[in-house]
Amino acid sequence: MSPDSQQDFALAFLSILFEGAPFILLGTLISGFIDVYLPPGTMDRFLPRNRKWAVVVAGLLGAVFPVCECAVVPVIRRLVSKGLPVSCALTYMLAAPIVNPITALSTWKAFQGQGAGMMTCSRLLLGFLVAVAVGLIVMRLPLSAVLKKPLVDSLAEKDAKNAKESGCCGGHSHDHTHHASSAANDGDRLVAAFRSAMKDFVDVGVYFAIGVTITALFNTGIAPGANWLDGLAANETAAPAALMTLAFILSLCSTSDAFIAATLDKFSWGAKLAFLTFGPMMDVKLLFLYQTVLRKRFIVFLAIGLFVAIGAITIFWQHQLFQAR
Amino acid sequence: MNPKLCRILFSLAVLSWGVALLYFHASGRIVKYLAPDFRLIALIGGLGLSVLALFNLLTAGQQAGCGHDHGDSDDAHCHDHESSDIHPLLACVLMVLPLALSVAWTKDEYSAAALSRKGLYDAPLNTSASFLSAAMPAITREEIEKGHRKTADGFYEFNLLELYFATGDREMQTAMDGLKIETEGRLIEERTRNANGSRKRLYRLLMSCCAADSRAIPIVLEYGSNPLPSIDENQWVKVAGTMNFPMEEGLLQPILTVDRTVEAEPPFEESFLRNQ
Repeated sequence: MSPDSQQDFALAFLSILFEGAPFILLGTLISGFIDVYLPPGTMDRFLPRNRKWAVVVAGLLGAVFPVCECAVVPVIRRLVSKGLPVSCALTYMLAAPIVNPITALSTWKAFQGQGAGMMTCSRLLLGFLVAVAVGLIVMRLPLSAVLKKPLVDSLAEKDAKNAKESGCCGGHSHDHTHHASSAANDGDRLVAAFRSAMKDFVDVGVYFAIGVTITALFNTGIAPGANWLDGLAANETAAPAALMTLAFILSLCSTSDAFIAATLDKFSWGAKLAFLTFGPMMDVKLLFLYQTVLRKRFIVFLAIGLFVAIGAITIFWQHQLFQAR
Repeated sequence: MNPKLCRILFSLAVLSWGVALLYFHASGRIVKYLAPDFRLIALIGGLGLSVLALFNLLTAGQQAGCGHDHGDSDDAHCHDHESSDIHPLLACVLMVLPLALSVAWTKDEYSAAALSRKGLYDAPLNTSASFLSAAMPAITREEIEKGHRKTADGFYEFNLLELYFATGDREMQTAMDGLKIETEGRLIEERTRNANGSRKRLYRLLMSCCAADSRAIPIVLEYGSNPLPSIDENQWVKVAGTMNFPMEEGLLQPILTVDRTVEAEPPFEESFLRNQ
């Protein structure tokens, strides 16, 4: 790498790292405390008993618990291990970075003069619908097809243990906080919570660092293959695909990506919507973060599915909105 | 790996991120990396990471239970809450190495090659299509003059961003064409349409959130028969001259025919910031 490339990489790397690290910390602190303090099964109580409605409600939880895509992965990882159904966790994971007030506000501000209201509503609606659709599909899949093996094993172990404890407690269903309080004092649990948070931060931080490294290489043009994107803007089909690819490579935060999308003047409105919906759900950085929870094969299918579905919907949407004008 | 050693390694890796954030914030260099909205978040993040790391470092040897029963094995607890998919040593290297290299390599600014990629030599965007501008009353020369301060030698002080975006707005071009203006930015060589060697380029960066998403905002400086200024590349300057928007090779270009160029102190915020 030449000295100029080193300088460019360093600036891009540090700026993305500085922007993202606090949000990862927030997510891992929440996840650490969930790990130690949240009794198993608690999240279930916030969701409707009907599994389909639970997935729909999970798609809206981001409005109450606004989390960006960097922070949401460690949180859902813990929530899954705490008994949140995987379909609901994945729906929340995909929807929360988009369906939240911070992202809505930033999108609305960034698209002033470019149909801000329509873009904001379209982004939130499309993000919600796609996330719920993924959740409903995941609901029909076996856990082993979705989650990493250690996580599946850990869940199976917990299920077996809960069944055993149900027996020992007379067979009734309840949480086991009384076991917790008898087993450790508050100081111990605080130490355990911070340890868990640090472990989560390192797990996510490693993948984030790799993702940021790759992003910085593309962002500054050090990595080959970035310029071809510019030539695709005029093509109705290729433009959304090009911007989704760009979103995948740039790995921007959902709270800030609208400001980038708004400046991509060569591209159509629908292509920008594809950029804003696909990016928070799948990008280089998330590809690595998802590997802390999901099976690689599932991630590949998820990426392809999101790419095709979001691309098709945004092309259709663009056609419906602007054909008559 | 021994759990205590593992905790110490993880703590040091996390601490390195926290210290980097705090160092760049305390030294003031953070302004080159993040927009203001994110700077306070970065400071809080740096403090949080440092507290998390130091807390874990100081309690690395302490036995702690989360309260959950993880089974009879001594190893069960560690496995459930602290085991990682990646070898701890490798995890630390992956976290610390790119950070350390970046801190060593950074000069807090982009090279000319990266600036070129960020739009330094691109044609200005056409922004006249916005429905907002269509709904506004026509802009007149008088209104523009009234809205800008005038220097002692008769130049109107303009923000470089206004000059750049005027190229995409027919009304603004008409109102500003031939106006004597003064603006500031960084001076750099002109690589395109400069056969006579009489041109330079003036630019600033527009940052949305962080340096990675910043974009160059340039105009062309035409010196005509006057000698080019002997000022270092990327030096901050104030230039004054006459503004025009001629069509060159099918593209409208914002060109300032320069009367004077003087070196200037960098502004506190070197990049333009969106929404400010």
